[in-house]
Amino acid sequence: MPTKNPCNECGVSRRDLLRLGAGGLGLGLAGGLGPVPSVLAQASRRAAADSSGKILVVFEWFGGNDGLNTIVPYGDPSYYRHRPTIGIKEADVLKIDMQFGWHKSMSGTKNLYDEGKVAIVHGVGYDQPSFSHFTSMSFWHTAAPNSGNEYGWVGRTATSLDPTGARENLIVNISDSQTLAVRAEKHVPLVFSDPTKFQRGVFAQEKAVLDTLGAEVSPVGDAHRYVLEVTRSAAQASEVVRAAWSRYAEKANPDLRLLDLNKVVALIEADFPTTLYYVPLRGSLFDTHVNQAAPHDRQLQYCSDAIEGFFQEMQRIGRADDVVMYVHSEFGRRVPENTSLGTDHGTAQVNFVIGNAVKGGMYGTPPSLTELVLGDNLASTTDFRRVYATLIEDWLGTDAAAVLGQPFETLSFIEA
Amino acid sequence: MSVHPQWSPGPAAWQDDLSPLPQPEWNYDRAAHLLAHAGFGGTPDEIQALTELGLDRAVEQLVHYERVANPKLQPFVESGLWDPSLGAFPDSRPEATDRAEQSGASMGVTTKPSGNRPVQPVSDRFFYWLRATMLETRRLGYWWANRMLQTTHPVEQKMALLWHGHFATHENKVRDYRKMHQQIELFERGATGNVRELTIAVARNPAMLYFLDAQYNVKGAPNENFAREVMELFTMGVGNYTERDVRECARAFTGWYFDDLTFKVDPAKHDADAKTFLGRTGNFDGVDVLEIIFEQPITAEFLAAKVYRFLVRDELSAALQQKLGTVLRDADYELKPLLTAVFKSKDFYSQASYGGHIKGPVEHMVAMLKQLGAPTVPGVPDFNQSTIAMGQHLLNPPSVAGWAGGKTWITPGLLIARGNVARDVLIPDMTGFRDWNFSAGTDDVLGQRLRDGYDIGAATAVNDPANMTAFDRVALERDEKFNTRISGYIGWEQAARNLIPTPRDAARFDLTEMVLASGATTTAEAVDYLAARTLRVPAAKPTRDALVEFLTTELGTDSLDRAQTYMEDALRMTTHLLMSTPEYQIV
Repeated sequence: MPTKNPCNECGVSRRDLLRLGAGGLGLGLAGGLGPVPSVLAQASRRAAADSSGKILVVFEWFGGNDGLNTIVPYGDPSYYRHRPTIGIKEADVLKIDMQFGWHKSMSGTKNLYDEGKVAIVHGVGYDQPSFSHFTSMSFWHTAAPNSGNEYGWVGRTATSLDPTGARENLIVNISDSQTLAVRAEKHVPLVFSDPTKFQRGVFAQEKAVLDTLGAEVSPVGDAHRYVLEVTRSAAQASEVVRAAWSRYAEKANPDLRLLDLNKVVALIEADFPTTLYYVPLRGSLFDTHVNQAAPHDRQLQYCSDAIEGFFQEMQRIGRADDVVMYVHSEFGRRVPENTSLGTDHGTAQVNFVIGNAVKGGMYGTPPSLTELVLGDNLASTTDFRRVYATLIEDWLGTDAAAVLGQPFETLSFIEA
Repeated sequence: MSVHPQWSPGPAAWQDDLSPLPQPEWNYDRAAHLLAHAGFGGTPDEIQALTELGLDRAVEQLVHYERVANPKLQPFVESGLWDPSLGAFPDSRPEATDRAEQSGASMGVTTKPSGNRPVQPVSDRFFYWLRATMLETRRLGYWWANRMLQTTHPVEQKMALLWHGHFATHENKVRDYRKMHQQIELFERGATGNVRELTIAVARNPAMLYFLDAQYNVKGAPNENFAREVMELFTMGVGNYTERDVRECARAFTGWYFDDLTFKVDPAKHDADAKTFLGRTGNFDGVDVLEIIFEQPITAEFLAAKVYRFLVRDELSAALQQKLGTVLRDADYELKPLLTAVFKSKDFYSQASYGGHIKGPVEHMVAMLKQLGAPTVPGVPDFNQSTIAMGQHLLNPPSVAGWAGGKTWITPGLLIARGNVARDVLIPDMTGFRDWNFSAGTDDVLGQRLRDGYDIGAATAVNDPANMTAFDRVALERDEKFNTRISGYIGWEQAARNLIPTPRDAARFDLTEMVLASGATTTAEAVDYLAARTLRVPAAKPTRDALVEFLTTELGTDSLDRAQTYMEDALRMTTHLLMSTPEYQIV
């Protein structure tokens, strides 16, 4: 059930609150929820001053999601020829049109689709695809298929948005270890997975010394330099993240199962200055080689419910207009089912772009199920960098060609 | 001795030079560098003993450890949670309960002939084993950590840890601690032997066979999972084979399977026809294709670089990688010659290798305990929880690619966790500690509700059981064949009843005694001694001065003689601060 936005009731939007700045209504409200650390106040001042308030959340589905069993081409008889056993029956499809429908576990995201907030992009991939999880994902992370880049596409977007690297915590990565996509030249991404553990355990008398560790140290080498940089980032960020989390955790709705997206909600609600959130799914069940039905149903349900819950939360805190979410995997799966009632690594996949700012509908050409390539695989119809370019240019408002190294034709899924 | 050993990184010109370090260049600091990289570091006494051996004998003793007695190692004692009825464990709970609904039994347990939730015993049994193998695997990790700490063969344990991350398999999927145990023993046995033989043994290892779906790789319907990973991750790296090679390789491995803990080949399911693989054609089986893979020069380079990155430093040049590959190939994939060459080389003692390695969490934890002279891995803090917080869960690597290592070990969150673990070891929270093996986590609330008299339906209601309507309850009791949420709780309870408890003792060491024995008399000397004992990269002067001031303030004097009756906790806090420095994270 959508929760009402208290700010709308008082006639002031969240964006307006941000613009009012530190002395305005925004912090007055936040202050009512508990003590606000001074750093947090600074953080929200920076957000108000430096950014348009627009946010991109990348929700990465590692493992190779079976796009054909996610947006199901139930109207195409060849789908059932390829998948006599594990094909999703027409009765189990939440229909979009005469051709396609959502897997029944995706009802949460379908609700958003029905509200016109979801772009489905068909046939997303790249030429000469890799069938390796790690290689293919590294291509997606660097936006450099069959090539490489020292920095990730999200990291390079950060550089484009803020060429001097002055904005702290521009990138947040909810993960146990840093995702290649966020590796950046100028910015140290804030990487954490458990906010409650994101805290130095310190006895009172130790505190003064702990705060100085790593200051005035000249590095002996590359590894040392890296640890020193992260030391500084950790010191300034941990207090802010924890404060945001504990205020969110107190009032979080226990019926919303948000996976790691709950940490993103907490930070957005605390007016964190982050523009780019990167959330790789942990404990993924998408690599469905064997007996795929039960685990795939479950994984889709978890992810879809998390997306719907996330946008309910954005609605509640009045930021739904400011956030676009992008969902992708590293590849789709082979068209014919295998003999283990599963599917093997494939090529083109289906992507989702979600948010109030998104023009809902289907984009890209659905790949043919009869003219398969590379051993029973879908021919990709949309280069994934076109989706990236659209997000970078039309949503974040920066130069996609500079980030991606070459121009890509954008899709039209962002509202003008 | 309070003398601060001189930090001795060799000149930059030594980098990439595999010629041996000249004997006169050998000293205490370089012995410390060797022990920190080849193993898990050690106490000043251990480093001194290595120094006195000289470079050649020191490396000989570390690499050819078979001649060194290893009296403290203990075999793993099982809790006895497994029985043969769990042998063909279903892949999923639906499979378990479907099997029972068809045949009336599953995993040695029958369904109820009548009454409510007739399939509940089967669902409970399924969760019992999930919990049991998970809990026993925690014990297995703790047991292995003790081996790493207590061994006199540090290179053996360090290399076993490497292979565990290289041939990565996780218990989450394997769901059988016995297979994980068998695999760890394989890595220990083959730690520094022939890596081709080790790879073949891994391909026949039941945990690996299960992990990469060997049972589904059969003639006429090959499953490519293992074939792909064996080339991409275990031997050659991506880009050195084609998709066709993957398919042909998968055919060669068809029919390989396991029966419980034993490797088997089913000739009926093996595709004995000709395959064309990496340019060769023949009726290859799995061993044949592995032999062909090991004939490729890239395989030697790939594996030698992997060993080097794990032991020495993250970055290595293409030229050095090629040289190391040649050493490994010339030795027909025997690892000892490679290790010997690396440990003796000028490159190993060059500037780039000093402070060039970020310690992995397990390595970090074991090294910490070694430096402190702790005889056993403590129970408080819990070993597994500590390394998980730092980003490494032994026996549960995140994917088949293992741990990426290097810089990925350090993020803001993980860095903070490292300092926190150091504090928990130095100043353990003995009264606040709660044993996670005897807590069902978020399911603890279910146990409480059952004991409070709620029935299963009410106890497993999402929110407040008191708010459930009578109608809902009746409907649940009537309609449910089983309730998986309660099984999650009951399974934990049943497993915990038989689980051997992990001793929850604090790490045993005495910093006061160590500092006084070093001859230190002032707080400055105490800090210098503790810094030299723990850090491989020296702390910057401002850090050192701040620590001296801290210790002096805590003790109320700079005289250790005056403070010796009460200085233990202040020394421990000083050590906690040292272990929280950026410098402590690297060797």
